Amino acid sequence: MKLHRPSRQRLLSSPLAGLMALAAFGSSATAQEEETRTIHVTPASLEMKVGQTKSLEVVVVDAAGNVEDVPVVFFTGSRGALVVDQGEITARAPGSFEVTVRTARASGARASIKVPVTVAFAQVQSIEFVDAPGAMFVGASYKLATRVHDEIGERPDVVPTLTSSDESVASIDAFGRVVAKSAGFCEFTATAGGTTGTFALRVTESPVASVRIEVDKLLARTGDVLQFRATALDASGSPVEGAPMRYSTSAQLDDDLGPAASGQVGNDGRFVAQDPGLYTVTATSGSVSASETVRALERDAQREVRLVGRGTVTEEHTSDLWVWEGIDGRDYAVTGTWGANGDAVLWDVTDPANMEQINRVKVDARTVNDVKVSPDGTLCILSREGASNRKNGIVIVDVRDPAFPEVISTFTENLTGGVHNLFIWNDHVFALSAGRRYDIISIEDPKNPHRVGSFELDTPGHSIHDVWVEDGIAYSSNWQDGVYMVDVGNGMAGGSLSNPVVIGHYAYPSGWNHAAFPYKDKETGKFYIVAGDEAFPYGLHIEDHPTYPRGWLHFIDFTDPKNPQEVARYQVPEAGSHNFWIEDDVLYVGYYNGGLRVVDLSGDLMGDLYEQGREIGFFLPTDPEGVVPNASMVWGPQPHKGKVFFSDWNSGLWAVEVEPPAAE
Amino acid sequence: MMSILQTAALLFALTGTGVRASADDGNGTDYLVYVAAESEDIVAVAKFDAATRKVEVVKRVSVGYQPTEVEGPHGLTVDPDGRHWYLSVAHGKPYGYLYKYTTETDDLVGRCELGLFPATMEISRATGLLYCVNFNLHGRMEPSTVSIVDPEEMVEVARTTTGTMPHGSRITPDGMLHYSCSMMSDMLYEIDAVTFELKRQLRLTISDDAADAPMGAGPMNGAGTNDGAMGDGDMPMGDDVSRAMAVAKPTWAYPHPTKDLVYVALNGAAQVVEVDTQTWKITRRFETAKAPYNLEVTRDGRKLVVTHKGAQSVGIWDLETGNEVARVPTSRKVTHGVVLSPDSRFAFVSNESIGSNKGTLDVIDLSTNELVSSTDIGLQAGGIAFWKMN
Repeated sequence: MKLHRPSRQRLLSSPLAGLMALAAFGSSATAQEEETRTIHVTPASLEMKVGQTKSLEVVVVDAAGNVEDVPVVFFTGSRGALVVDQGEITARAPGSFEVTVRTARASGARASIKVPVTVAFAQVQSIEFVDAPGAMFVGASYKLATRVHDEIGERPDVVPTLTSSDESVASIDAFGRVVAKSAGFCEFTATAGGTTGTFALRVTESPVASVRIEVDKLLARTGDVLQFRATALDASGSPVEGAPMRYSTSAQLDDDLGPAASGQVGNDGRFVAQDPGLYTVTATSGSVSASETVRALERDAQREVRLVGRGTVTEEHTSDLWVWEGIDGRDYAVTGTWGANGDAVLWDVTDPANMEQINRVKVDARTVNDVKVSPDGTLCILSREGASNRKNGIVIVDVRDPAFPEVISTFTENLTGGVHNLFIWNDHVFALSAGRRYDIISIEDPKNPHRVGSFELDTPGHSIHDVWVEDGIAYSSNWQDGVYMVDVGNGMAGGSLSNPVVIGHYAYPSGWNHAAFPYKDKETGKFYIVAGDEAFPYGLHIEDHPTYPRGWLHFIDFTDPKNPQEVARYQVPEAGSHNFWIEDDVLYVGYYNGGLRVVDLSGDLMGDLYEQGREIGFFLPTDPEGVVPNASMVWGPQPHKGKVFFSDWNSGLWAVEVEPPAAE
Repeated sequence: MMSILQTAALLFALTGTGVRASADDGNGTDYLVYVAAESEDIVAVAKFDAATRKVEVVKRVSVGYQPTEVEGPHGLTVDPDGRHWYLSVAHGKPYGYLYKYTTETDDLVGRCELGLFPATMEISRATGLLYCVNFNLHGRMEPSTVSIVDPEEMVEVARTTTGTMPHGSRITPDGMLHYSCSMMSDMLYEIDAVTFELKRQLRLTISDDAADAPMGAGPMNGAGTNDGAMGDGDMPMGDDVSRAMAVAKPTWAYPHPTKDLVYVALNGAAQVVEVDTQTWKITRRFETAKAPYNLEVTRDGRKLVVTHKGAQSVGIWDLETGNEVARVPTSRKVTHGVVLSPDSRFAFVSNESIGSNKGTLDVIDLSTNELVSSTDIGLQAGGIAFWKMN
């Protein structure tokens, strides 16, 4: 028998000793092992405090009541909360848990007991009001927040009860919303776990006698952002400093046959309409308000997207593409292959209506997910995954004559886990390594590539999917860690290729961040990172069935990289975003089952760009002989010399052109 | 290599003893195994009919949760009662997962996140817990761990630190001891399956003379570099220091079914070593073809079967004599895993192959030492587990 206690085990070898031990243990839990052995654990449950250590004592007896020396396993699935060292249990976090105590026996016959362990929450120690205003005007309202701490740390799970000492001065509801009703003083009290926090408020008569509201234009298109400006004025017509202001909107739509809410206005007075109609924006300060009405017209952004030509690939899945002007002045494209034989396909696309496959490069891989060509058109870099020797890495190919490509070198060091995506900037390759980081590899001498730097997040369980580089700034997409903007030579944060420095970052809740593209809007001067999702809630069908991905593009205003704000989205219903490109205020999106999408990004951006009618057009590539027949699955686009090339996972390379915009 | 005469003598001896008896007993028996296609994210259920001597895939199960990424199903095991099979998948975001499926329907019933590149694993009959090495094949050259999982609740209950790139997770028949080796530390590890404590470790040298040499000072042979051609095994390198230190590059450990012995494949040294767990010393060395990778001992304890990743073959040894009795060419390159039928009649061998050429499952008759049947599995067929005989 093994008796488990902090000071170590002691042996009891006789039936009498065993019975005496059981009797001494008092309340215990018992389980039987196939009618031969019984395991007794004392105590049957544990009540603990954080930081406390207690012991479980175990006795195993055979069918005759003899105490046996049997190995006993102790474990818990709550390793973050309990430390289990044999029979010694230490509590690390509050909550309800279990420790399993189990006999170990070669026959596989085991007795097992789950011992409940309750670790008490610590006493609430303090409650504070967060960013509470000291004074409010009569008629104003404010949302108060509280923060609760116990002796261990913050307790976001504890919601205190909120009360006002004088409801006639100011009231507070269960959600913390304060309404100032009359001049005077009152005290708010937050109560939880026997602890209280207080906050004193002074309410004064509002000097606001009127509100003035202005807007630059009374006519706009759906999707155009209008800036409303409201000013609180006193009786003399002078502005009142610090007066609160709230904006709201209502609509009278041209189409009144049941549309949903169709416009939005922010706390900063920015307004956008989704549908044509009359919109009234109201600004309110205390009990005084003013309104202004504007008309939203149809955006009329739609243009035709025409097929120009295609380069068919139906024997395998196609992945990414790159299109470039070769050193001979002709135009070429390279496409990757997915889940196949390690091929990259080279095309002459000088005449996009008659694209010609001119060669293939085969490397040791099963997926060539990404393909990029150097800006001078001489080098093509291929990513490798599924190499038979598991070394993967990248392959550097001379494409000065794309019809006769030559492999110059491979680089696998520290890239053995597979390179899923890559980018070329300033004679350096940014190559993802096993989805953990990107390495920066000099290809100044393409026969002798070598690593000069690396960038990896330090967040728990971080993972990266893609990287794009412009002007010495790397924009990486990191799933749950979102987008990162890193100085790799721009200089704005002192970074370099060998010393990447973070400029800013932004994450959103879904954790679907898969791609990123920088975009500066010339009209507003705003700088965005467009972050794209990838999600397959309904799986991926490789051979026999269409796929129904999901996800959208997030427009994050990075004008102040230390304070990025997500301001807009482009979301095609019931389709899934993938790779995309922005050129001249036009967004081109490979939207998987939603085909190629072309979107007008001109002007300020706010709200749902799809619902605002900013979509210029779309093209759904299908092929009855496709890897999955008649199923669009657009991987990614690239505009080039007035045409839009894109790769489709099921059918290869395509080229379309977008009808020019009509004259103003 | 043994001589033709030696081979003939051994074949005669084998044919005259237990093999004949098992052949008489087993005709008409179906043998079922699971095989993972690591670059295709599928697991195949394959059936070998001993009567027709044909193996075929009866089902393919898609695995993983990132459809456009290759997640890499690597390790497979079936629980002792045969009701569930378990799969380690190498890459998540970034950590890999352990998946649990029912053998009856192949439905997914549980998932548990483990470490970086979880790989080989086995369930202890004694504790009921599953022990899976976190191979960390593509990560930094630093000590990794063995994850210990409660397969009922599908929750990790402990981690025990071992060496760099641990692999070959196997448990003694009594379920009390776990053995694994670390490819880039050249060590064999023994873990107490009950307390989860690392009990002992043994430096795996490539010659008896090198037993006392400092790590990395042992003689190098041709297979000792990781920059060599395909077939040296799973040894992409990320750290020059570790590369210089690892010589033997052990990839698999397998306890003898009845004796206090553990067999370890030294992938970098073209050897299999026998370790006496009583004395904790290497007692025998078996010279193999290039890059031995996985190995297993027949349930009767008489034969050792070794896959040669770099030589597209399987080596079969008589453990009594210590002689290699046969070297059987496999159907495709990059020979990977091996499991043996409980009746010691057949070896089931996975072959990764290269590129879009499908990996295969080979069946070798251990009474004749011949490849009797083969079937395509999928891209990079690797992990393999024996399920049952019908």
